[in-house]
Amino acid sequence: MIPAYIKIMPIIFPVFAGLAVLMLEKKRNEIMCAWTCFIATAINLLLCASMFGKEWDLIVPWGGMFDFNFSLRLYHFSSFILLASAGFGFLISLYSFSFMNGKEKINQFYSYFLITIGLVNGAVLADNLIVMLFFWEGLLLTLFGMIVIGNKTAFRTAIKAFIISGIADLCMMVGIALTIHLAGTMSMSEIHLQISSKTAAAAFLFLMIGAIAKAGSMPFHSWIPDAAIDAPLPFMALIPAALEKLLGIYFLARISLDLFKIGTNSLLSTIMMTVGCITILLAVMMALIQKDYKRLLSFHAISQVGYMILGIGTAVPAGIVGGIFHMINHAMYKSCLFLTGGSVEKQTGTTDLTKLGGIASKMPITFVCFIVAAASICGVPPFNGFFSKELVYDGALERGRLFYFAAVLGSFFTAASFLKLGHAAFLGKSPDDTAHIKEAPLPMLIPMITIAALCIFFGVWNYFPLRVFIQPILGEHRLEGHDFAGMPTNVMLIVVTLVVIIGSIMNHIWGAEKSGSGLGAADHIHDAPLLHTIYDKAEQRMFDPYEIGMKFASWLAKVTMSIDKVIDYIYNVVVVEFTYAFTGFIRRLHSGSYALYVVWSLLGTLIVVLYIMRKI
Amino acid sequence: MDNELIVFLLVCIPLAGSFLLPLVRLISEETRNLTALLLVLASLVASLFMMPVVLTGETVTVQLAGVNLFYADKLAVFMAFVSSLVGSIIVLYSFGYISHYEHRDEYYFMVVLFLGAMMGLIFSRNLLALYLFWEITAIACWRLIGFFRDRNYVVKADKAFLVTVFGALMMLLGFIMIGTQTGSFDIGIIKKVLAGKHLPNIAVMLILLGILSKSATVPLHTWLPDAGVAPSPVTALLHAAVLVKIGVYVYARLFVASFDIDEIWHTIVPIIAGVSALVSAGAALVETDLKRIIAYSTISQLGFIFLGLAIGNNIGIVGGLLYILMHSIAKGGLFLCAGIVEQNAKTKDITRLGGLISVMPITAISFILCAFSVMGIPPFGGFFGKYMVIAGALSGDKMFIAMLFLVGAFMTIIYLFRVFVMIFLGESKLSLQNIREGSNVMVFSVALLAMLSVASGIFIKFPFDFVQSAVRQMTGGLL
Repeated sequence: MIPAYIKIMPIIFPVFAGLAVLMLEKKRNEIMCAWTCFIATAINLLLCASMFGKEWDLIVPWGGMFDFNFSLRLYHFSSFILLASAGFGFLISLYSFSFMNGKEKINQFYSYFLITIGLVNGAVLADNLIVMLFFWEGLLLTLFGMIVIGNKTAFRTAIKAFIISGIADLCMMVGIALTIHLAGTMSMSEIHLQISSKTAAAAFLFLMIGAIAKAGSMPFHSWIPDAAIDAPLPFMALIPAALEKLLGIYFLARISLDLFKIGTNSLLSTIMMTVGCITILLAVMMALIQKDYKRLLSFHAISQVGYMILGIGTAVPAGIVGGIFHMINHAMYKSCLFLTGGSVEKQTGTTDLTKLGGIASKMPITFVCFIVAAASICGVPPFNGFFSKELVYDGALERGRLFYFAAVLGSFFTAASFLKLGHAAFLGKSPDDTAHIKEAPLPMLIPMITIAALCIFFGVWNYFPLRVFIQPILGEHRLEGHDFAGMPTNVMLIVVTLVVIIGSIMNHIWGAEKSGSGLGAADHIHDAPLLHTIYDKAEQRMFDPYEIGMKFASWLAKVTMSIDKVIDYIYNVVVVEFTYAFTGFIRRLHSGSYALYVVWSLLGTLIVVLYIMRKI
Repeated sequence: MDNELIVFLLVCIPLAGSFLLPLVRLISEETRNLTALLLVLASLVASLFMMPVVLTGETVTVQLAGVNLFYADKLAVFMAFVSSLVGSIIVLYSFGYISHYEHRDEYYFMVVLFLGAMMGLIFSRNLLALYLFWEITAIACWRLIGFFRDRNYVVKADKAFLVTVFGALMMLLGFIMIGTQTGSFDIGIIKKVLAGKHLPNIAVMLILLGILSKSATVPLHTWLPDAGVAPSPVTALLHAAVLVKIGVYVYARLFVASFDIDEIWHTIVPIIAGVSALVSAGAALVETDLKRIIAYSTISQLGFIFLGLAIGNNIGIVGGLLYILMHSIAKGGLFLCAGIVEQNAKTKDITRLGGLISVMPITAISFILCAFSVMGIPPFGGFFGKYMVIAGALSGDKMFIAMLFLVGAFMTIIYLFRVFVMIFLGESKLSLQNIREGSNVMVFSVALLAMLSVASGIFIKFPFDFVQSAVRQMTGGLL
């Protein structure tokens, strides 16, 4: 029997460590902050590793009525997410040692870092929907805090991130309230609802909005590219690239597998797949034309979520397994890519691709890590991304050619944009003053190498993650006897994938020759007629849902404000004028003429007499 | 001590004590300030004393000359606790704020009288006594809004007075209707006579006019933003501790805890509240005067409280009561922060402010923490209130109304951030050299309210349990 205080340790330990870091005075204790964070994440990793594979419950009454309990549940799925997020937390805190060195507000950074990990652990462990929402929405605060400590204009991005996520979280709150109302219980492990009514469908949709918004899918994505520029880089590698994906896809899988039963023929499944495909395509198209290392990566962080949503949305075993496998793979290669971006930024002082080039020989280890991670994200065999994408394709093909086609097209552009990125940043001509550039320091290299090695490991020995971590999540009966480990069985899919990758390489060579540089390799797509105008508008943020929403909000505000003004006008003018007019009229009746007064009196007397005689 | 005596003292100490304050001034300024604080603290302590008493399920009735005057149950003690808690912090803050201005005697006299009348109203068992205290608050509020004797300000004070008194007279008509129908003004007796029958709809409507005018709900709300000309602690008092909470409290007391009303009101009142929440949220997004924005935000959040209380199920009522507590703390904090900004930067126009976080960091952080609570972000207390209210609407199968409030909640996030950014972040349009943090006691007060906002969320169990048992008592053990 594990005592209760051990069970809540993954939540309260990082949070308290974070608060302790916040107390440290920043100037003198910069190193102290980093060490505290490192040790705390290491302890957290050990805690979470020791919990892996165990199962327990913890129920503490939190407010007697409405069975409102503080309940946690550790089981296979939650322990897997816990372990993964602890791993990323540990590696990125190690990375931050060198990266954050000498930056401002360092104590706040480490403090929010730790609190985030505690809150993520809480949200994953929570078995009560309200407790989960409590931790889930609590993440808004650390999200805001971590972005706001970035550069001078970061507060705008921080607010954008907060408002977008806050609105999505409020939607999720409505979804949770509806679910609890329908199910009659708050305990997630006891909720198994059928989508039998409009209310149930609405509940699912609201929960889905919360989940995919956390994962960074469209249309809740637009803060991520801005944050890539403004926020500290380890934040990007930790939160949008890893933890938010883990959390969002974890919850999406929970709601579509456990809480609700999404059938293969349901409208909701089609909605999810459509959202997935649109996200894949639009985001990757934007990624293709970016000229900044981090911003380009951030659009891929959005695009790849599409594959996960598509996979889970297919509601067939291959797709779901592929979606969840892609979640963990993506968290690995995308945070590795961000970390390589961080080393480039730290060593060269810029992430602007027009100023970079030819640093592969100066930073060979970073370059190799980049290649491994980029090959993974492009779905090159035998790296991990290949296997999870094949599974998603398999599921998508089962549901419809259109979805499969969209996913494959997305892969083409993914590969094209990474060829462009690698070419422009690491190869090609180098600017003049690159002599001083050296390889990144060891604390930054270790996390990159570790994650890159894991990318290969999860690819080549994919039966290990699939059989140990992912397939048990679905359970025997839902797998329908499949085992997805090993090479994909459908040869046609592999051939198509390879053709797409080769096509993409040829496209790159052609484009690079045409424009004369790696950076310009995608210009022929950028400058294509029609696309060009759309791109221009997109770059001006004409399609940013946040901007559109804000415009709508200010329009709505103006309308309601005018209603308010009308009401105020009634009080300030109409009532006052009426009172003046009325009293003015009465005053004029008091003219001082005796004759008139006598007439009034007689009339009055007449009325009184008539009343007494009951005539009126 | 006798429970009846405690309730009696809870009301009468501030009510009678306020008249002594100008006399205490003869001793010294500080003594008067401290006495004022002590008078309000007496209510707070007394309501704390009453908590264990009412938690056992006991209710206390105070008789005066054979009339049932005061009545204490869980709801009343809860409300008294909220009001006196926030009230005492506001009085503490006033030490720093009001020392810059004239007429301090009158200020403390009116503030303490105001809080005393609030206590009287909370514990009134008689409808006429309730009306009496209601009007005392109107008079005190009239004097306090026009505290800076500027001619324009006095007009605004008159407006507030006229609108609320109009509502109160309508309410009095409603009371008289009920009184003539049942032969008594004693809430307990009326309840027995009615024996589960509905109140006449006309009477409900008349009383509702009074409630809505006092709680500043569309279309009887425009006096509240105008009342922003008052000194900041007074606006905090109006918005957080006393005035606007009177309406929602009387709603809870009469229509939730005591009398049955027609089913139709469970739809009408939420719709009025929803429109009110939206209209005022929009206005808050357009306004540029700091205090008017926060005032519109109050109107908007009162909509949430009304929704919870009026939706007609227990989840909503619990949410509404919790939100009274959370909103009082957070909104009090916002106004007191606004007071510090206004007093030190000498302007309330947010387009002329900016970058103040570098000169008044504690105020800025307290402001954003209180704002988080109003937005409903955990771990702040507002989260639980807002969640329960919306959950109440959804479990009442009122999807449309819930959506209305969802949009209201979106707007809340947007306008509060807009204010925060425009005041505290970005480039300053003023010279920041002469702007300093407020006096210690003022900064302490706002930081205390911000801390309470966090604490009330993390230790939600205590208010939650109390409110739940209060609701159980109010709805007659249906839970």
